[in-house]
Amino acid sequence: MKFHRSVFQSVLALAAVAFLAGTSAGNAQQQDKNRALKKYESGTKEFWTHPPDDWFLGDETEAQKGLAPPSGPPTGASDAELANIVKKIKLPAGFKIEVYASGVLAARQMAWGDKGTLFVGSFGLGNVYAIKDNNGKKEVKTVLKGLNMPTGLAFKDGALYVIAVDKLIRYDNAEANLDKLGDGKVVYDDMPSYAAHGWKYIAVDKEGWFFLPFGPPFNVGIPPTSVSQIRRVDPKTGNAEIWALGVRNSVGGDVDPRTGKLWFTENARDWISDDLPSDKLNMINRIGEHFGYPYCHQGNLPDDKFAMGHKCSEFTPPVLNLGAHVAPLGMKFYTGNQFPADYKNNILIAEHGSWNRHKYQGARIVRVIVGPDGKNPKQEIFASGWLEGDQGYLGRPNDILLDKDGSILVADDWAGAIYRISYSKK
Amino acid sequence: MRRQFSSYAIGALSLAALAFVPAQAADNAAIKEKAAVCSGCHGENGISQTENIPSLAGQPDQFIQWQLVFFRAGSRKNDQMQPIVEEITNEDIRNLGAYFSQLTPPKGPEDSDPDLSKKGAQVSAGRRCASCHTDSFAGTKGVARLAGQREEYLVKTLRDYKAGQRVGGGVAAMADVAYHMSDEEITAVSHYLSHLK
Repeated sequence: MKFHRSVFQSVLALAAVAFLAGTSAGNAQQQDKNRALKKYESGTKEFWTHPPDDWFLGDETEAQKGLAPPSGPPTGASDAELANIVKKIKLPAGFKIEVYASGVLAARQMAWGDKGTLFVGSFGLGNVYAIKDNNGKKEVKTVLKGLNMPTGLAFKDGALYVIAVDKLIRYDNAEANLDKLGDGKVVYDDMPSYAAHGWKYIAVDKEGWFFLPFGPPFNVGIPPTSVSQIRRVDPKTGNAEIWALGVRNSVGGDVDPRTGKLWFTENARDWISDDLPSDKLNMINRIGEHFGYPYCHQGNLPDDKFAMGHKCSEFTPPVLNLGAHVAPLGMKFYTGNQFPADYKNNILIAEHGSWNRHKYQGARIVRVIVGPDGKNPKQEIFASGWLEGDQGYLGRPNDILLDKDGSILVADDWAGAIYRISYSKK
Repeated sequence: MRRQFSSYAIGALSLAALAFVPAQAADNAAIKEKAAVCSGCHGENGISQTENIPSLAGQPDQFIQWQLVFFRAGSRKNDQMQPIVEEITNEDIRNLGAYFSQLTPPKGPEDSDPDLSKKGAQVSAGRRCASCHTDSFAGTKGVARLAGQREEYLVKTLRDYKAGQRVGGGVAAMADVAYHMSDEEITAVSHYLSHLK
C-alpha cells in the first residue's frame, strides 16, 4: 500500500486515480494483462525530472476503483481536539498517552539533538521543526522552510541531517544556530528528483552511515535503474553502496541493537484488493538481498503481470506480513528501561493507515516480538484508536522515537502533533 | 496587513472551539472583516475582477486552507500573498476556508468561442481532469474548483505547473499532468473550464 496520506501525498495518488479512470470499466484488468509491458526511456536526463504521467497507473481491479487518499485537516488538530483524541487511544494496562506538542503540522521523522532539541521533519509543507522544552511548555519553532518534502532526518556529531528527496543536507552545529541554520551543505545528491515515492527516512547504523530508501515512482512496474533499493550512504564522504534490492516504498527502518543489521518496513503495491497484498517487515541479513518487488509480493504472491516467470522462492521473504494497507512507516527497537522488561528489543512500528481499502486499517502502533534471527515473530496491537468510522482518521501515527526516560514519542502528520507514551507500575 | 492579522489572532483563539463548525465561525463579523483584506485583490464576495488573480468564492474549504498553509510555509511562493499570510494563525486559516467556501461561486461568462470550448472539453477528457476535480469541476476537499475560474488565471496556473514554478503542495500530480500539455491544449482547456456555468 501506499503513496500515502495527507493532501500532498494524496494529490499523487489522486493522480493515480485520475489516470485509471480513463480505462474502460469492466474489462480493464483483462486489457492490462494483455498489454505489452511498458518501456521507459530512463537513460535520458529528462526522465529523471519528469517521469511519464502514465507511471501512476494502478492496474486496479474493478472493486478498488474510486478509492483515493483522504485529505487531512490542513492546520492539524486544535488543542481541544487533541485532548479528545488522546482520550480515545487504547493502550495496554499501565501505559499512558499525552500530547507532547501540538501545531507540528505534517510531522514526520523525529531525531534528538545532543542538547535535548527534538527535530521533526514534515511532508509537503517543506518545514523542519525544532521543539524545545521551556519549563515544561513545548516551544515549536520552524527552523527550516521551503525544502522539498523533508520527511527524514538524523542528528550526528552536532549536525542536523535532512533528506529532502534528492538532497542529503548537513547543518553544522545545529542546536547553537536554531535561528539561522542557513542553507547547509549538500553531502549526497545522487538521487532522482521526482517526488513520487521520493520522500525518505534515515536509519543510522553503528558506523554512522545512513540507510536511505529509494521508492519507485509508481504503484507497480519494472523499476528504472537506481530505485526500488536501499542504499547505505556515508554522510562524511558521500560514498554510497547498494544494500538491498527489490524494495517498493519503504519509509521506516532501524538498526538492530543486537546485530547491527537493518530492519525496515515496506508498503506493498495497491489496487489488487482490500486484503492483498500484505505490507511487510523485512530484515537485511546479507548485503544485496532482493526482497521481491515487483515480481513477488508478501513473500508468496507472484504479481499477475510483473512476475514474468519469477518465483517467490527466488527472493528474501519478509520477517513478518503486517497486514494489507496498514502502511507501516517509522519503527524503532525498544531499548529503554521504562516499559516492562519483556518489551526489551521488541520492535514498535507506527502504522499510518489505509487509503486504498474500503474499510481502513492501521493508524496504530504495533509491537513485534522477535529474536535477532527474525524467526517466529509475533505481533500485537500496542496503541490504537486513531481510526474513525470506515474511512476516517483522528490521527495518523508515522514515526516513533525513544526519549531518555524510556518513554516513546509518536509523530502524527494528520493531527500535526507529537504524543508521548509512558509506562508506570501501579 | 500583517499587523491587522495579528490583532485578530486573539479573537480567533476564542473561536478555536467553534472552528470545526464552519457555518457559525464564518458568520462571525470578525471573520468577515478579516476576509475584507482579501477582497482588495480577490474581489467583493470572493469574485475577482483583476487579471491573474483567482476568484475564491465557492472553492472547497480544505483547498483554501491548504493554499494558505502552503503560502505560509513558503512551499507555494507568491510575492503578494507572502507578507499577508506570514503571521496568519491556524484559526484564521480554518475560518477563512469556511468563509470563502460558502460564498456563491462565479458563473462563467457567455461563451465567445464555442469551438474552442469543444476542443477544451476534449482536452479535459483526455487529461482526466474530472477524476480529481469532479464531474462538475466544482472541486472537492483539497482539490480546486475550476468551473467559472478566470480564464487567464487558469492559463497562468497551468503554465506555472508546466514550468515547475508551482508544485501543488509537494507531490507533483498537477506538475506531471501539465508538463505534458501543449500551449494549444492549455489555451483550450482554460477557455472551456472558465466558461462553465
